[in-house]
This record gives sequence, C-alpha cells and structure tokens, in this order.
Amino acid sequence: MRVKILMILSLVLLGCSSKEEEQPKETNTPNTTFITSKNTSIAGEAITLAFNTDQPNANYKLQVKNAYGNVLLNPKNSTDKNITFNIPKNFTRIAGPFRWKLLSNGETLHNGKHSITTNAPKATYVESYFGPRSVTAGRNDFSMLTISPTDAYDNPVDDGTEVTVKYQFLENIDEQKITTESFIAWYNVASTLKSGRILVTSECNGTTSKELATIVYPANAVNFNISSSSAHNFADGNQIVTFTSDIIKDEFGNVVTNGTLVTFVIKNEDNSYLYTIGTTINGIAEAKTLHPDKAASWEIQAFVTGAAESNTTEFEFKAAIKDYPVHFSKGNRNIDIGPFESFMKQLIPDGLLLKLEVYDTEGNFIESKITTTKSGVCNIFLGEYFLPDGEYLFKINAAGITKEFTKSINGDTVK
Amino acid sequence: MEKKTNTLLILALIVGLAFHGSAIFFTLESTYDALIHLFFADHYANSWFDPWEYRWYTGFTVQSYPPLVHQLIGILSYIGGLKFGMYTVALIAIVLFITGAYRYTLLMTGSRRIAGYGAVMAVFSSTFVETLHIFGQLPSISALSILLHSMTEIYLWIKTGKTRYFITSATMLAVTVTSHHVTPLFGMVFFIAPLMGMAVMDASREKVASYKALTFKVFWGTTLQHFWRIAKFGGTAIFLLVFCIFPYWYNSKRNPITQVAIPHGSRDNFLEITSSGLVFFIIPWGVFLFILPYFFYRYFSKRYVFFGLSFGLLTILGTGGTTPIPRMMLGEMAFNILTLDRFTLWATIMALPIFAEFAYRMVEGDLKALIQKRFGGVYHRVLGGLIAGGMLFMVLFTMTLGYFRPSQPAKIKMLPIVNFLGADSHDSWRYLPLGFGDQMAWLSAQTGAMTVDGNYHSARRLPELTTRAIERIENSKFRGVEGIGSLQQFLTVPEKYNLKYIFSNDKFYDPILYYCGWQRLQQLENGIMVWEKLNVAPIPQIMPKQDVPTIMKIMWGIIPLSTVLIAIFVNIQMIWVRLLKSRKVPVHSFMKLELPYNKFSSKLLTFSHWWALLVLICMGYGMYIFYVKNVTQLSPNNVVESYYDALDFKEFSRAHSYIDPEQNIDIAQYMLEVSVTDGILSSYAKLDSLGIEIYDKTENSAKAKVSTRWITPLENVFNNDHHELIKRKNKWYIKSLKVDNDIPPDQLFTSNGTTYYNHGRRKITTQETYHEDVLKQPVLEILSAKLVKYKGQYSIIGELQNVDNTPADIVIKATLYNDDNKELANYNAKHQIKHKLMPKETTTFKINFEGIAWSSTKDTLPPTFDPDQFTPISFEEQPTKFNLQSAGNTANTDLYKHVALQDLVYTEQGFNGVLFNSGVQEVTIPQLIISYYDAEGKLLWVDHKFITEGVRIQRKQFFNYKPLDLDSLAVVSSSLENCFVNGSPNKAIADKLFPNRKLTHGMKQAQPFKGKGYEYIKFEINSYIGNPK
Repeated sequence: MRVKILMILSLVLLGCSSKEEEQPKETNTPNTTFITSKNTSIAGEAITLAFNTDQPNANYKLQVKNAYGNVLLNPKNSTDKNITFNIPKNFTRIAGPFRWKLLSNGETLHNGKHSITTNAPKATYVESYFGPRSVTAGRNDFSMLTISPTDAYDNPVDDGTEVTVKYQFLENIDEQKITTESFIAWYNVASTLKSGRILVTSECNGTTSKELATIVYPANAVNFNISSSSAHNFADGNQIVTFTSDIIKDEFGNVVTNGTLVTFVIKNEDNSYLYTIGTTINGIAEAKTLHPDKAASWEIQAFVTGAAESNTTEFEFKAAIKDYPVHFSKGNRNIDIGPFESFMKQLIPDGLLLKLEVYDTEGNFIESKITTTKSGVCNIFLGEYFLPDGEYLFKINAAGITKEFTKSINGDTVK
Repeated sequence: MEKKTNTLLILALIVGLAFHGSAIFFTLESTYDALIHLFFADHYANSWFDPWEYRWYTGFTVQSYPPLVHQLIGILSYIGGLKFGMYTVALIAIVLFITGAYRYTLLMTGSRRIAGYGAVMAVFSSTFVETLHIFGQLPSISALSILLHSMTEIYLWIKTGKTRYFITSATMLAVTVTSHHVTPLFGMVFFIAPLMGMAVMDASREKVASYKALTFKVFWGTTLQHFWRIAKFGGTAIFLLVFCIFPYWYNSKRNPITQVAIPHGSRDNFLEITSSGLVFFIIPWGVFLFILPYFFYRYFSKRYVFFGLSFGLLTILGTGGTTPIPRMMLGEMAFNILTLDRFTLWATIMALPIFAEFAYRMVEGDLKALIQKRFGGVYHRVLGGLIAGGMLFMVLFTMTLGYFRPSQPAKIKMLPIVNFLGADSHDSWRYLPLGFGDQMAWLSAQTGAMTVDGNYHSARRLPELTTRAIERIENSKFRGVEGIGSLQQFLTVPEKYNLKYIFSNDKFYDPILYYCGWQRLQQLENGIMVWEKLNVAPIPQIMPKQDVPTIMKIMWGIIPLSTVLIAIFVNIQMIWVRLLKSRKVPVHSFMKLELPYNKFSSKLLTFSHWWALLVLICMGYGMYIFYVKNVTQLSPNNVVESYYDALDFKEFSRAHSYIDPEQNIDIAQYMLEVSVTDGILSSYAKLDSLGIEIYDKTENSAKAKVSTRWITPLENVFNNDHHELIKRKNKWYIKSLKVDNDIPPDQLFTSNGTTYYNHGRRKITTQETYHEDVLKQPVLEILSAKLVKYKGQYSIIGELQNVDNTPADIVIKATLYNDDNKELANYNAKHQIKHKLMPKETTTFKINFEGIAWSSTKDTLPPTFDPDQFTPISFEEQPTKFNLQSAGNTANTDLYKHVALQDLVYTEQGFNGVLFNSGVQEVTIPQLIISYYDAEGKLLWVDHKFITEGVRIQRKQFFNYKPLDLDSLAVVSSSLENCFVNGSPNKAIADKLFPNRKLTHGMKQAQPFKGKGYEYIKFEINSYIGNPK
C-alpha cells in the first residue's frame, strides 16, 4: 500500500518537473541612435533625451540613475522615427551628473551621462549655523559660523562661491570674504577680550542670512578683596554679619558673570572651618551669617574655587554678656537663670541657648537639659519624677560662661 | 396550569436596577478594578486586533486577560464613550446576576416562590455589593452570572440527554470563558461538578421510592448510565476553555508569571489583620454567618451532598491565612498567586438558594410556625426584623465603606494632564503618575502617552518591577522598601526608560524627586505638580514589540463577541418564551423535587440559636478589644501612644488635649508652635513604629523614652524622645516640650539674587526646536574621580565643578569595567550629589551601583519598610576601571544656596553643628554632603546626612554628625582618563577653560580633622525647599 502511494506521488512530482522550458521569443535588436546633442543643463531646466530608431513600436525604456536613486521611464511620444524621454523634475533639479541607459527588452542599446549644474543665478538661499552659543573672553576661544548657500532647488552652490561674513562687536563691524568649499563656507569668529555679545550675519549672491549671536562671557575671576560689616561686634547670637567682596573681575577687566558662586570660609578661634555662600551681582558677592553667642575671633577668606581667592579679613566678636545670675528655689528644684544683660545692659533678644548638666557628687553625668531664654530669662524645674532628692553638681553653660553649683535638692510640689 | 409572571423576580429586577443601577454612578469609578477594565476597553476601541499595548510597562499584551467585557465596553464606547460602555455593561451584569440567581435557586429548590426569594436576596447580598461597588470586578460578575444561567441547561443535559440542552449549555459556557478565565476554571470544580453529581443523584432518586432507598450502589449504577453525557460535556467544557481564549493560554506559556507574589489581604490572618478580616470575610458573609449551621445542615442532605462538599471547601479556602489549611490544600505556589476572596464570593453565591429557602421558611413556612410555637409571635417578628435589618445594615455599610474609608485619592480632573501631555510633544517621553491610585488607568485611557507604570500587575515585564512585590510604582509608599526601592531606581536612571515627566498628587514623594535630580516644572490647574528631568532622550520611533501569529489576533478579535452572538441566537427562543410566556413549556423534572417544608428540625433551631450567640459573643469581644485599645488616657503608655498617633495624623487639637492642663498652654499657642516646625518628620513622614519605655513610674508621674521609627521617602528616621508624664484626676497627661524661643533680629529682610528663565521655544512651531533656541550645555569639569571599595561595596566618588557661566543641572553616570574591558555595571548618581550648581560651584558626588533588588526571588524579603535599604549589585568579576559620563543642562530652579554653616564643634558625640538660613526661602529638608580627604587633600569618601528638621528663614538649626572610620577603605583606581563632559573628554575642557587651576583651594576650604584613615573633612549643604516662593 505504502509503496503504491510512494509511486503515485513520485509520478505526480515527475509530471510537475517535466514542464517544458519557455523559449525566449525571437526578436531582432532595434537600431537606435542618440540624437540629443546637449549633455549639460542647469538645475531646473527641462531635459529631453531623444533617439532615432528603426523600430518605433518596440518596448523602449530609459533607465535614469543619479545619486538619489533610479527610475525607469517610458518614451513620451514615439513618432515614426523618433522616441523621446522627458526626464522628471526631481531629476532635473538635482545638481550633479546622472547616467542613463536606453533599454529594450532588457538589452542596453545606449548609455550616457548628463551633467546638471547649480542654478545659482535664479535664487540663492543661505542656511547658517553659529556655535557654540557662548564663548569665554580671551584669546583661545571661538565660535564657528558655518554657511551653506544653496540654489533654489537646495543644491549647494559651486565650490569657490564667494560668501561675505559680517560680525559686530561693540562699535566694530567687520567684514570678511570667504569662499565655499565642499558645499560650505565657514569662519571662526574669535572671542574678544571684553565680554559682550557678538552678532554675525552672512551674505551670498545678494542673499543675506538671519542674525545669529554668541555671548562672550568673562573669563575666570582673579583675586579680589573682601570686607565685613555688622550692626555691632558683640557676640549676641542674634545680629547678622555681612561679608562683601569688591567687584570681582577677570584678567581682562570684565566683571564676572552674575551668579558666580563665592564661598566665604570662616576660621574661628577653635580652628573650626565654617562657611557661608554668596553669588555675585554686578561682580559683588555678599554673604551673611549669624553672630556667635560667645566671644570669638573669625578669620574670613573668600574663594571662587579653582580660580581666585581674596585677602583674609578678621572679625572680632566681643562678649555681649559678661555675667548672669542664677537663683535656686523650691527646695532647689526650681532654677531661675537670668536676667541676661547684653552690652548696653539691655535684655538679650530671645533665644539664647542655655544648657544644664546634672552630675552626681562623684562627678558622673546624669542628665542634661537645654532651654532658651525668653524675655531675658529662663527657668528650669527639676520635678521629683525627674530627679530624686539628693546632692548634685549642676553645670550651667550659656553665652560661653560656665557656672558650677553643688546643691542638695529635696521636696516636690507635684501633688 | 396557567404560568404567571413571578412577581418577586420582577420586584427584584426593578429594585436591583434602581438601587445598584443608580449607585454604580457614585461607586464604580472609585473601585479597584473598574478603571483598569476601562483602559483595556480603550485599547480594543483603538486597535481591535492588535494585542500589543505600548502605554503601560514599556509595552505588554492584552492577551493576558480574557477580552469579552473589555471588547463589549469598547464596542459600546463608539456610541457614548468609554464610561457609557462601562455603565451599560455593569447594568447588564446586574440583570444577569439577579436572573442568574433566580434560575439557580429555581434549579436547586424546584420552587418558583423560593426562587423569587432568591432573586430578592441576590439584590441585597453583601458579597455582590462588595464585588460590584468596592472591587468593581465586572468580568468576574458577568462570568459568574452566565455560569449561574448555564447551570440549569447543564443539569437538563445530564438528566435528559437532549442535544438542545447540550448546545445551550455549551454556548453559555463559552461566554463565561471569554469573560473571565478563573471563573469557569474553578467553576468547573466547585459548581459544575457538584451540579452533575446532583443531576445523577436526582436520576437515581427517580429509580427508587425514597431517599432512604437510594444507596451508593444505585447511585453508582446511574452514574455509569450518565457517564457519556458527563464525559461529553466535560470534554466540551475543556475544549471551550482552551479554544475560546487560546491566545491567552499561548501567552501564559510564552510569558510565564515569574514575578514575586504581591501580598494580598485575602491571604492574611483575619484575626491578626482585622481590616482584611472585615473586607474579605465579614462583609461578604454578612448575615449569612448567623445562619451557617442551616447551610451546612441543608447542603449535607443527600440530594445536595456534592454541593455540601464544595461549599465546605470554599468556606475553608476563603479563610485565607487564618488557618494553615488553605495553604496546605492549594500548595505554596497557588496560594501566593490566587486571591482567596473569590472562594468566599463563590461560597456566598452558592449559599444563596439555601438562604432563600431559609427566608421562605422564616417568612411564610414551617420555621415561622415552629418559632411562633416555641417562642411566640413577637419573637418571630423581632427575629425576622433583626435578620432583615442586619442584611440592610451590611448592604449600607458595604456601600458606604468607600465613602468613610476612601480606598482611593479624591477624584482627579484629568483634562489638564491630558492637555499637558498632548502639548509641545510632551508625549514623546514616558510619564509617571504618583499618588493617583487606580485613577491612573483612567488617565492612561485618555492619552496616547506612555508610562513606565501600569495597573495590571500580571503583565509587568521590567525586572525592576517583577522582582518586587509591588503592584504599581504609583503607590509605592504603601509597598514599603520594595516600593520606594523600585521608585528610586526609576527616578535615578530615568533615561533608561525615557521617563521625563512625573505627575505628583502626593507631596510625600517630593523630597526623593528633588534629591534624585528632578525639578518642578509647573503646577497644573487641578493641583497636580509636574516634575521633569533634564537630559532624557525621547522614546525612539521604533519600539520593541512581541508579535503573535495573525491567527491568534483573529481568534482574539472575533471569538469572544461571536460567543455572545451565538449564545443569544441559540437562546433567543427560550428567552422569548420564558419572558412573555407565549406558549406553554413542559415543566422541567427538577420542579417536581420541591420539598414540602412542613417540619423544621427543632434541634437545628436550638443549635442555630447557640451558634448565633457564639457569633455575637465573638463580635462583642472584638468591639471590646477595639474600645480598650482606644481609651486614650488610661495609662502612661496609652497617652504617649495617643499623643504620637495624633501628631502622625496631624490632629493637633487632639494632641493638645493630652498636654498637661496645668502648663497653661492654650490651644492657639500650641497650634502656633506646631505650625512653625517644618522638615522631613513633620511634613513627609509616616510613623512606622513606636517603642515606649516607661520608667521611674510613681503613683502620679512617670518618664517615657519614646523610640520612634518614621518612614520618609528618603530614608528611615529613628528618633528618641523623652517625655515627662503626669497623672491628674485619674487621667494621664504628657508634659509639653519646651519650644525654641529664638527670634531673628529683623522683621523685614531683603535679599538680592540672580534669577534665570529659559524660554524653551521662542518660535511657536510644531517642528523640531530651532537650532538657535537650543541652549548650549553648560560645561563641567570633573576635578577628581576614583573607584573605591568600602565595606565590600564598590563606589565611584569624585568632585566636579560647573566651570561655565550659567547654572547647570548635573547628570552623572558611571560604568565599571574589569581588566578585559568588559562592562560590569552602570548607574547614575542618586542623592549624594548637588544636582544643581551655580557658575563655578563645586560638588562632591558618590555613585553606588545598585542591583535590581531581590533579583533572585529566593532572597527573603524584609518584613517591614526600609526605604534606604540598598541592594548592592553583585559583581561576578572585579571592577578595575571606570568611565564617567557627565552632562550639564541649563538649570533655572532650585538654586538656593543661602544656608551657612554657622558653628561647628567636635565633641565625643561627633560634630555638633549649627546651620543658619540667611536667605528668604524656608529650607524644608537640609542635606549635608560630607567628604573625607587624605593629608594631600585627595578625596577619599563621600557620605551624606539628611537633617530631620528644616531651617526656617533667618534661623538656626542644630545637627549632629558622627564621622566615619575609613581604615578599611581601599582606592581601586583613580583616574580622570575616561571622564567625559557633554561627550567631550574632560582633559580638553580642563586645559581650555581652567589652564591655571589653583589646586590648593580644596584644602583651604576643608576642616582639618584627624580621623581614622583621613585628615580633612568638608561639609557641603544641599537644601530642599518644599514650598518655593
């Protein structure tokens, strides 16, 4: 059974394979001659290729090929002896050569090359780019203006076409003539020593481009001076001290860009490095910080990191509070500290920090309490639940002044 | 006998449509699932045959969910829009459910009267209310309703063997399959199998005189007789299940669900997590709980015994993690994939006929007589009233649950967002909604823009998502460490996903957005804040897509609706006849099996009473526990707990009521003091755990040490506070802490500064931005870069400067290589960098190489939230080289630099410092970036610290920082060779822009400090401003 099926199958297959091969039709190659004499044209100009033939009704095709692609054309009108082909617009408008082949039934009868030149006289468009959009003042930075003039059909103009570059900086307007090379013309507009804005434009065949600009930013800052000021120089922990730079400039005398960050580093008497930050406006940086709450001496230096630094200035804070009273009551559980009197015997502004540390008689730390002054005084109550009766050592620290008391506390007021 | 219309059924339909039909307009859109189905429907409305959906999860296939309901909504949307489609389908589902319940009850009891009761009970069943109005599971409801309808047909096929019934049952089953895959799959086991059993049982009963005579032998004989019918139907059912949604199975095989299980409340222990118990047990069961003994009694009678088994099984499976039984029965794998609430849903639906029977007997049957005889008529009325009242209460309670305990954020107006995405090519990038809840699906349905997130977690594809137990990134704050961890990966490396815009509806996420380098763009008129990230490329024109064979697309597009059309065509005659009673139909055999209901078991009644009492006692106990936990001033512990709870929920007047009244702080003063505190704890944190330690307790006073753990988007914050507690008039009070009295010197401050504005496109054009409107990228210089190994982890540290004249936004990406130049890992700088730099500003940075967390799912997941939990990437080979790519883009926001370091003292507790805000913006979260240097001033390590309280304008803030020990730190490689800025080599930039760099400046700004392994330390400050003015 299986053998039978196999045999039938193979017979069927044989039947399929023995199909006769198709014979090519016999044709005689037509005799043609190329009669168009012109083999150059200007972009946009209509192009017609004409041939003389002895078989006007044969199957002719013209293959046209340029840098963008291929197209197969049918003859436009075949009169008794002539066949003509109209090259389509998208081929006639592209500058450069195109190649053609006359084909008949797959056979090449003729081939040739046609050149199209740029149509600059009709109209010129100027496309231009300028970058980077900002440069640094000095002698080694520049922005490049790139101009690509094209004809009406977007063909780059011929190499060697003259382009005029104009650029303006402050009062100066300069002009430069350059030529295109490999489709483009370019010009490096050198940075100036002064900061400002350079405007450029270009012109080619009477067409001008739009206005483009680059900003010349000042170069890196050079060393500068700072000063400090405050309403008074007492360490009240409340007033604000201001550090100001003079006008920070670069090496060419330009005022540095607004927003340039200046770090004011403060070194205090404990060799701690503190800082505050300012950003420049018209070259002046201003930074603020708070007065310390105890006598201090600050050394301040400012930096534009990596580029410039200032002189070192000093600021001395005198102690605002010379001393303060401490009063124990209610079995020594209630501690009233103050009034704190400032440099003119006025009450210190609210918020002075006060720290109480409680030690036992052997000097072991038990607990600490922190509070701030209000209306010049502060109060701490040590409830029974907080501290049992007994003898304790109290250390009170405020405004840089430490006071020690040994007290025995007893009794409680909580019912 | 003249057949009359069943008035109870008509009543049920009218009431059901009026009640549910009007309520859905207020509930459906805020349910969990409804909007997801709407999004799928929108997909079908736009591209019926192409299953690939680009808008979620960087693309997924809709063949991962049965399409019928979505396609129906999609088709209907052509008439009146998507929402019209959704409501229409919901109304159809309501009708189908009520009629389905009616037919199912009729089949089970054989009594049209009881079936009428069944229809009414179905309307008010709390499980249906919950599934529709809270969960919004439209496909599940539709599938279940059709399944109920098909049961009569299946029964008749088994019983009679008439081909007509075979066809009707098969067509209905096909509709069920195409609307929901799980329902028919489990329905086969839990509904159809016992139904077949019952059909055979009924056939056996006809052979013998009484149920007593029905022995197993008779039953077995009948089963064998019916075997072919059962087999034929079973085979057809399996064929339909496979064929009708074949692309679904094909897709499941191709993209198996390999993701980490997402926790679901239905798997909780309901006794421990009472909220889950309420939603997944108490609500669906409702009044049924009291009548459970009757259900079991009836279902374990001979006729229903198969239903009894099924019902018992469903009840047990529905208890989730309360008992270990469901886990053992289903196996670990299935237990973690299935949502177990559906078992409870099926159990309660299965119980409906029996409940209807109970109601019938209670209202007009033998139970009424029995109760009246035993307890009197008044008791019967009271009891009936209680049951009806209980049912009504459960319905109202369930219905309003979403109102009193909103599960979703308030409704968001989507139009401004849709317009934003549509304008100015914003949809060329992906977006991410945050804090939208399930409304994100509605947003997705309205726009063509794509998001990295999505709302159908089974279809997630990115490993960042599938390896974590989060359903959406959008609500990641509720998903603990995995959630925030996932979100942080998306925020840190957004260019990987072309993610540029974030719509934030929850300010909780603001700090992490800021510290990951995002910036606020604008606030839309609906209050949504738009955040953007610079330096992200748009989505490529050609995107990857997982294609399926055309035949699958055609099957998927045509079969589902065809099943509906065929089912309607096949059943139309029957519907017509049944509806209009146009001609007499023979009474089905099951109608003869109606019970006489003449003797309600007295024992059962007694037992039911005891049972009800037990249930009541349990509920009472639960309420008592709830009450005791919530008495606020009973003990020192309670008052501290309540105080912190009040602070956490920002209920300040409640918090004030716990303050010692003798301190004489009035409420106005207290509110003022509270309102002026800002910072990560008071504005962006959620209290996670509270440890209270009471010590020194006396009769009337105590001290409490309170250790709190706060969840913030940035990291965990641990706080220790000490409170003094006092008892006055039997109530405990907390003593208020002293406030900082600090006042600034001046009332009015002035501040000058440079501000920036970027026009974007100066020319209005729909084309690409004009060349001259593209800003130059600010030039940066990398000053140092190192690959270091510290505590077993590789990091790239370095320092860079904005050397340009405009402010810069910094993106920096590091890639690690081994000796053979094989790439090992890459990552971006997250929050250990200042992302915005003024001209000439420097920043230190650190890049950690984060792996995709728990990429091997065997790793144990940490049980609680830990946002700063970090998964270091595991390197197979030693990294020895690195490449740094940095990019600057002009920045014009978040350039606040006015926080000064005002004081710094080293003590045994570390550095105690003071920050001072000298500007006019309130700094909500200050961050310290701390860098360590060796004796030559070479950078060694970068660390950071978030300060928990903000720095108010012109005021101080204290901080403490413990310096690290760096003796174990090893510098692997230090080179500027492969560092690039905006694509140009760093060296060329340095040579051109900073040829004479003063290298000593770094040292001059650092604090000399002799630490373990380093000589200098430097503090930099980065300020997050919550409300820029």
